Amino acid sequence: MIEFGHFALCLAWLLALIGVVAGCLVGRRSHVALSHVEALRRVTIAVAISLGCALLGLGYSFVTNDYSIQYVWQYSNREMPWIYKITAIWGGMDGSMLLWCFLVAAYCAFVARASVKYPRPLLPFLYAFLNTSPLFFITVTLFFTNPFRYLRSALVMPDGNGLNPLLQNEYMAIHPPTLYLGFTGLAVPYAFCMAALASGHLSNDWIRLVRRWTLIAWTFLTAGVVLGGHWAYLELGWGGFWAWDPVENASLLPWLTATALLHSVMVQERKGMLKIWNISLVVLTYALTVFGTFLTRSGIVQSVHAFASTDIGWVFLAYLSGIILLAVVLVIYRRKELRPDRAIESFFSREAVFLLNNLVLLSICFAVLWGVMFPVFSEAFTGEKQTVGIPFFNAVNVPLFLSLVFLMGIGPTIAWKRSSLSHLLRAFTLPFLGGFLVAIALVWAGITEFYPVLSYSLCFFVLMTILGELQRGLSAQAGVTQSSTWSPSTAATLFRRQRIKYGAHIIHFGVLVMTVAITASMAHKIEREFTLGPGERFTVGRFSLELRNVREEEHANYGAVQAQVILRSLKDDSILETLRPELRFYPKNKETTTEVALRMGQREDVYLVLAGIDESGTRASLKLFINPLQVWLWYGAILMIIGGIVVAVPVPRQAMAKQREKERGLQSI
Amino acid sequence: MGRIFITLVSLFVVVGGVLVFQATRGTSSLVLLPSELVTKAAANDLPRIRIGGRVADPISYQTEPKIVLTFNITDPKGGDATVPVVYEGLKPDMFAAGRDVLIDGDFVGGSVLAAKLQTQCPSKYEPVVPGAMPESIDKERQVG
Repeated sequence: MIEFGHFALCLAWLLALIGVVAGCLVGRRSHVALSHVEALRRVTIAVAISLGCALLGLGYSFVTNDYSIQYVWQYSNREMPWIYKITAIWGGMDGSMLLWCFLVAAYCAFVARASVKYPRPLLPFLYAFLNTSPLFFITVTLFFTNPFRYLRSALVMPDGNGLNPLLQNEYMAIHPPTLYLGFTGLAVPYAFCMAALASGHLSNDWIRLVRRWTLIAWTFLTAGVVLGGHWAYLELGWGGFWAWDPVENASLLPWLTATALLHSVMVQERKGMLKIWNISLVVLTYALTVFGTFLTRSGIVQSVHAFASTDIGWVFLAYLSGIILLAVVLVIYRRKELRPDRAIESFFSREAVFLLNNLVLLSICFAVLWGVMFPVFSEAFTGEKQTVGIPFFNAVNVPLFLSLVFLMGIGPTIAWKRSSLSHLLRAFTLPFLGGFLVAIALVWAGITEFYPVLSYSLCFFVLMTILGELQRGLSAQAGVTQSSTWSPSTAATLFRRQRIKYGAHIIHFGVLVMTVAITASMAHKIEREFTLGPGERFTVGRFSLELRNVREEEHANYGAVQAQVILRSLKDDSILETLRPELRFYPKNKETTTEVALRMGQREDVYLVLAGIDESGTRASLKLFINPLQVWLWYGAILMIIGGIVVAVPVPRQAMAKQREKERGLQSI
Repeated sequence: MGRIFITLVSLFVVVGGVLVFQATRGTSSLVLLPSELVTKAAANDLPRIRIGGRVADPISYQTEPKIVLTFNITDPKGGDATVPVVYEGLKPDMFAAGRDVLIDGDFVGGSVLAAKLQTQCPSKYEPVVPGAMPESIDKERQVG
């Protein structure tokens, strides 16, 4: 089966190469024959099928415990449940690269499948650039990180090393694939952009397609980033979810530029402005996904994650330089066709606010990139390696994120082209007053730190602008359909008609919820360390914790020491929950890990970690975190993902036409 | 390009530049290996450092009256330089002798007083360690 997998990988490489070369050759012709386009389309789909077979081949070796394969031996063993044998496919660098190849090729296949509706002059170059990403990543997999390698022939290993205990987690099944779906999806907008530049087919068609595919990738990337944070929160035992580590930052960078792109694309669609800007964002976003892969596989920066100090860094760097250089050359070549249709007329216009939003997002992106690369820069320029940590990222990004929240309230409400003073007053007076009153109320309630007060009041300001928009939309819709403003049918019709607009509002509302949760968990977090004997109590906030006992447990592949701690409400001494934090020892890997006990609540999370037990085995040392509103961070993320899906999923044209017809009928009565 | 476009972009280049410059100046710390720290600091204190090294015995972990972890670190690639570390906090997952750690803190009185201690955790980016293999890979037997 492993031979089959390797053969499929080689075949995919050959097909991707054919796709790139043939796509460019066909694209250069003045007339594009339908048969050529169809052949290229099939080649693009075949690449994904071949890579699927390669992935299946590797998966089969894991499931059947084939420890003659080096990669399987390294990351699996017989005791692991079957689900971890599957997730171990991407548990190491070689397999994760293969998964990457498959996912990027799968995206390309989906685009190819849908491409029959796309403008024909765009197609040959589209297939060529779609196949570029799979070709590059298959090349890396095949020649540098091949998972289809045997151990020495004389060795028949009875069992494998096993996956590291920290990776034996259900999140391993979903977090890396989701994140990869986000990263790899960003190869599609890049392919559209480069195909448009290469073919000269620079009408607004390609930018609309870019928007849809960017949104799909963005939704996956959002889910992947948040899942990573949730995993870290549950698993690592330090009470937080984001540490500005290079791996986390690598996933955030393309998310920031993709978010900027999703806003600026609208300016080009509506007004024909920011054409070169959007191309730059598309290329930058794709380049940052490649940069992230380079960062995590080159070993150039220190991280809490173990990185490979491999020699494949230069391959990524060469590819990165290639894609940027090609884009620059093509933009210069097409500069006349990329002139904006008009200039931004007023600071008080939606296009100016969207540009501001882009600049804030890019500033955050630059700051994060600077923070990640600072050790490299400082060593190159001063000879001394220096680094920056969480204080740097917070100092720069907190004010920038808050200004982004402010713009989130302004952007969707302000008019295109130019907003009159009366419109501005009508739209923003009440929200400003609301935000101001919230700030006064918070100070009066004893919250006096600047950033939390600013954050909460800005969130309230934005919430009021969203509600104001909704109210205006419902009133207008009620006028058209002659129904009540607040009836569910009016809301449903409005939502169907302006799905993209209100989907975006759902995303914005999710961001607000997350912002409140992050502010609360940063500003009002409680941390305590204490030791308890059986029956002893510790009181904090509105809770008391009592140690019932400490006990030892034996499981299939680990042993555990567990503290049973009764969590009570101080108000009436009622038992809320029994928390069971653990220390686990995995004899096979000789690793000790902590298992957090967590009580998620709407007001706060009670997060308990067992630090150790004394020599008698009866007293437990514990670390407690009380994280206010933490659960709302995850709710906010879910809202963002739902909003992303609402905006990304296309509505059948027939349904839209039927709806419009119905409304026209009502108006004519 | 329009006047407004240029004004906004220029404004952000300046504001972003100042923010990043100020934050870098106020928060950056020196990155050192244990051997470099021993050479550089000698008898002097050195505030705000990040040190990456390999955990070495003896390791002491007391949980009462407060949680304190003390251990030594050496250069990851070996060597004689040893630096004692004191960390008042939870022992992180996977912490053990022979593990690589990242420490942020101050070098005071010949010891690193760690404000933050992280064990390098496994990730999908980790390479196959040749030394960890039962025998080296037979390249001739690679498929294909």
